[in-house]
Amino acid sequence: MLSKRRLSILGIVAILSGCATLPDGSANLDRSSAPVEIAAAPFFPQQQFQCGPAALATILVHSGASTSASDLGPQVYIPGRQGSLQPELLAATRAADRIPYVIDTSVSAIYAELAANRPVLVLQNLGISQLPRWHYAVVVGVDPNHDKVYLRSGTDRRREMKLKTFLRTWQRGDFWAFVALQPGELPTQPELTRFAEAVAAVEASGHDQAARSSWQAAARRWPEHPVVLFGLANNELSAKNYQQAEFHYRRILATRPDNLLAANNLALALAYQARHAEALQQINRVLANAAADDPLRPEYLQTRQEIRDMPKKPSHDEEPAEAS
Amino acid sequence: MTMKLWKQIVLTISSVAILSLGFTQVSVAGVIDTQQLIDAENRSAAIDRIEATLLRDDVAAQLIEFGVDPDEVLARVQHMTTAELLSLDGQISEQTAGASALGIIGAVFLILLILELVGVTDVFKSI
Repeated sequence: MLSKRRLSILGIVAILSGCATLPDGSANLDRSSAPVEIAAAPFFPQQQFQCGPAALATILVHSGASTSASDLGPQVYIPGRQGSLQPELLAATRAADRIPYVIDTSVSAIYAELAANRPVLVLQNLGISQLPRWHYAVVVGVDPNHDKVYLRSGTDRRREMKLKTFLRTWQRGDFWAFVALQPGELPTQPELTRFAEAVAAVEASGHDQAARSSWQAAARRWPEHPVVLFGLANNELSAKNYQQAEFHYRRILATRPDNLLAANNLALALAYQARHAEALQQINRVLANAAADDPLRPEYLQTRQEIRDMPKKPSHDEEPAEAS
Repeated sequence: MTMKLWKQIVLTISSVAILSLGFTQVSVAGVIDTQQLIDAENRSAAIDRIEATLLRDDVAAQLIEFGVDPDEVLARVQHMTTAELLSLDGQISEQTAGASALGIIGAVFLILLILELVGVTDVFKSI
């Protein structure tokens, strides 16, 4: 709970920042660009309030996933709220083995994605801020010359909207929009951290193979970037390709010798290859370099414990067979 | 039973326990996942940006005028959680971007308010 004093301070901040303007969603759209439209985008007319499942099915099926609005309903529709939540749309996209990537807040970003044959799921507020009427739809076309936007929306296969009207409704939805990337696909205007987080979330939900292709694509786009190499290495580690994992962790450490997170995981990659002494030496170096209040220190200690607890022989790879 | 045999039994039991743990969690325990690395990267980038703002000569001078030691603020910033740091960083860049018309004093005032809100300083106790 905020105290009264804090609320009053918040109020001052809000007033003082009143001159800060919202981003202009139409910025950077080249009015002379050719119209773009994905005529082949599928259409799922929405049932009652179920615009979430309908819109999601449109982008997922277009990306090659085999699903439908009625399949997705139970995953993303909340009957009590007569709607779907944004995080659930993203989660259901991951469940379909696709990478949900939230795009930039501009029509030019939508245009670029459409040109790459990816329809864009958007959140609109068709009411007003005080009396919102939230709606998910899919932008399938933009005509910059005539200021028009085309959507799969509700029960309309091809709803035409004036660009200005669309922008107003989209702005009231905080310009929220995402695309469903196939594994290994990059968005047209990829932002490294956002893409890495999207792939890491897909991986965390158990889709290691999809994540693997995407890490590899990222590595082609951003070679030698520590975040990408780390994603690649962790993926290899969980696939038990310990040598490959070791290779990528070492590539990070070659340019960033003080990256303790990579050094910690390298210790484990060595331990899993039954290189016990090297692993212990590695993790001890991590602990020697970690600050006393390093928030990850407990993890480093856990790693050392785990390595110490590993039997030195036989090698780790052979253990599961013995355990079963 | 000899001590040696006991040791053998204990070792066998504990290694079976470790093995069965290892069987299900072989690459989870101790592994730092990719999101944690991204968080750490985001954290240090946010600290760098906040430092750069607070240590700007004009901002630092103004902070001192308000009775706040920039170094002390920095020390406290280091101990904020990542969520707090990112929120502070986001607010500073958002507020100061909109505050250009207010000039540097206005910007520092806003930064102070934000620092106050996230509990780093308490200049405004009396408000």
